Amino acid sequence: MELISSQAPGLENDHVIRWKQSGRSIVGYTCVATPTEIIEAGGLLPYRIRALGNGNTEIADAHLSRFNCSFCRSCLQLGLDGSYDFLDGIIETNGCDHLRGMIENWVYQRRPRFFHYLKVPHLGDSASIEYFVEEIKIYKKAIEEFVGRSISDQQIWEQIGRQDRISDKIRTIYRIREGEKPSITGAETLALFLLATAMPANDAENTLQRAIDDCKDRALDGYKARLLLGGSATDEVDFVAMIERLGGLVVTDTLCYGARAFRPRLLEGKRTDPYLTLANGYLENLLCPRMIDGFRSRLSFLLDAIERAAVDGVVLVHNKFCDLHGIDNVQLRLALERESIPVLQIEKEYGARADIGRLKTRIQAFLERIG
Amino acid sequence: MPILFAGIDIGSLTAEAVIIESGEIVGSEIISVLPNPVDSAKSVLGKLLSRAGLCREQIAYTVSTGYGREKIQAEGLADENMSEISCHGFGAYHYNPDVRTVIDIGGQDAKVIKIDRDGKLLNFVMNDKCAAGTGQFLEVMSRALGVDLNQLGEISLRSRKPVPLSSRCTIYAETEVMHCLQRGVPKNDIAAGISGAIAKRVAALVKRVGIEPPIMITGGVAKNAAVRREIEKELEVNIIYPNIDPQIIGAYGAAAFAMQKAGKV
Repeated sequence: MELISSQAPGLENDHVIRWKQSGRSIVGYTCVATPTEIIEAGGLLPYRIRALGNGNTEIADAHLSRFNCSFCRSCLQLGLDGSYDFLDGIIETNGCDHLRGMIENWVYQRRPRFFHYLKVPHLGDSASIEYFVEEIKIYKKAIEEFVGRSISDQQIWEQIGRQDRISDKIRTIYRIREGEKPSITGAETLALFLLATAMPANDAENTLQRAIDDCKDRALDGYKARLLLGGSATDEVDFVAMIERLGGLVVTDTLCYGARAFRPRLLEGKRTDPYLTLANGYLENLLCPRMIDGFRSRLSFLLDAIERAAVDGVVLVHNKFCDLHGIDNVQLRLALERESIPVLQIEKEYGARADIGRLKTRIQAFLERIG
Repeated sequence: MPILFAGIDIGSLTAEAVIIESGEIVGSEIISVLPNPVDSAKSVLGKLLSRAGLCREQIAYTVSTGYGREKIQAEGLADENMSEISCHGFGAYHYNPDVRTVIDIGGQDAKVIKIDRDGKLLNFVMNDKCAAGTGQFLEVMSRALGVDLNQLGEISLRSRKPVPLSSRCTIYAETEVMHCLQRGVPKNDIAAGISGAIAKRVAALVKRVGIEPPIMITGGVAKNAAVRREIEKELEVNIIYPNIDPQIIGAYGAAAFAMQKAGKV
C-alpha cells in the first residue's frame, strides 16, 4: 500500500516536522488509556510513543535492568539518545511498573518542558470512574497551564466527536481485514495505525479514509491460514510481516497498538459532562491485563474477534519480563485450548533478531499444523 | 527407473540427508555441520549421493528442514522447505504409523510433537529459552565430569546411588556437578543425576502437550540409553527407540514430505 510505505517509516514523520515548523508543541504518551482528546483540545499534537522494533538498548540498559521489559528499554533508549527530542512534553500513566520506570528515567534525564502523571484506576467500578473523572480534570488543568489558556467543555466534546469518527474508520478497516477476502495485511494495518497515532486527528481521519479507499481495488492471496495476533505492546511491523511472509495472514488482533486502541462512539451516549464521558469510555473499554477482574472481558473480546474474523489459529505474543501479558497469555492459551482453538504462545525479546530462527520455526510449524 | 525423494535436515551440530524410494530408506548420511547451512546441505547430500552411486538428477523432489532451510531452497538444493517440527513428526510416523507423540532432543532445543493417525502435526511444544534439557546440556556436563559424551549414558546405567541435581539451569547444574566431584561422589552417580535432570525437563514438556502413547524418541540425545530410561521412569511409559539412527528421523520426514508433495503417495 503506497500510502503507508511513503509515510510510515521513522519516528519524526512529515506531519510531526510540519507541526513543529508551525511553532506548535507535541506531547508524547505511551498508554492506550490516555484520553488524547484533552491534548488535542489544548491545541497540542498527541504522539503515541513507540520503538519501531529498535533493538539497541545500550544507553537504556544503564537505567533499566535486564529484568525490565525490552519494549520499555527500547523506548527509553530512543528517549535518551535524542530520537524523541521533538517531544515537548510527556504524559505518564501507571500502565505497568516497567512503563513507569521507563518514563520516569526519561523525564529525569531529559527534562521535557511539560510532564504530567495521569493515574488510571485498575478497576472499572463506579468509585474508580468517579476517581478517574477527577484525574482527567487534573490532567486537563495541567495541559491548560502548559498551553497558557483554558480548555472549554465544548472543545473537549469536539475532540470526542473527532475521535469517534477516527474510531469509525478504524472499525471499517477491521471489517475489511476480518472479512472473507481481506485487502489489507496485518503489517500494513499496524503501520497505518502507528502513522495515525503520530499525526493530527484531522490528518489521521483523511489518512484512514485514503487507506479505506485504497483497499477497494486490492485483493490478497497466497496465504495458508488466517491468524489472530494477540498480546502485549507490539509495534513491530517487521514481526507481523515475518509471520505473513511465512503464509499466515494476520486478519485481526487484540494488540495494544491495534484493536485495543480504539473505542466505541462516545458522543452518542453524551452524558452531563465530557469528563464523565471520557472516564467511562476509556475505563470500560480498557481491555488490558493491568485491569483487575478484567480477564473475562478480555477473553470474550478475544473469542468475539476469533469468530468475527473466522481465524484458523491464534498467536499470542509477549515480551520477556512482561509479567502482565505473560500471565494473561497463559490463561488465554489454556482457555482457547479448552475450546479446541489452535494457539501458539510466544515469549520473545522485543526488537531482537538474534532468536529469529527459532521464532520462524515455531510459527512455520504452527502454520503447517493449521494450514 | 526408480523415483527417489530426498530430505535434508540441518541441525545445530549435525546435518543429515536421507534418500527414499517408495517410502523405504535407500541411504542416509550424517556429517558435522559446516559454518554455513547451504554448505552443510551441499556436503551432506553430495556425500550421500556419491556413496549411493546416484546423481542429483535422479532425485524427483527434495524438502529441506532445520536451520537455513529457506536458504537451502533458495539455492536450488531443495524444492520446498518444512519446519523440523513437522518433519520429525512425519518421519516418526513413517517409521511407525502408530506413534502419536515424538520427543526430539537435539543439540540446541528439545521438542515434543503430537501427531494424528495420518502423521499430521496436532500440537507441539519447544524448549527454546535455554540449554536445559538439550544436547548442549549433556555436552557441558560431560566436559565437567571429564567423560566422553558417548560414554555418559553407559556410566549412568552403572550407577547404584544417583545424585539428584536440584538445578535445571546448565550453568548452575555445572557448578553442582563440580561440587559433587569435590565431595568425591562417583562419576557414575553424578552422570545418573545428569540423566535424571534432563529427563525431568523433557517430561515437563511432554506433560504440557499431554502424554499420548506410543511415544518415540528422536534426535542425538536419544542415543543416550540412560536418558531414555529416566524419561520412561518420569512418564511411566515405554518409549520406542527406532532401530535406525534417531538423528536421521527429521531428514527421513523431510524425504517423506518430498514424496507426498510430489504427489506420489
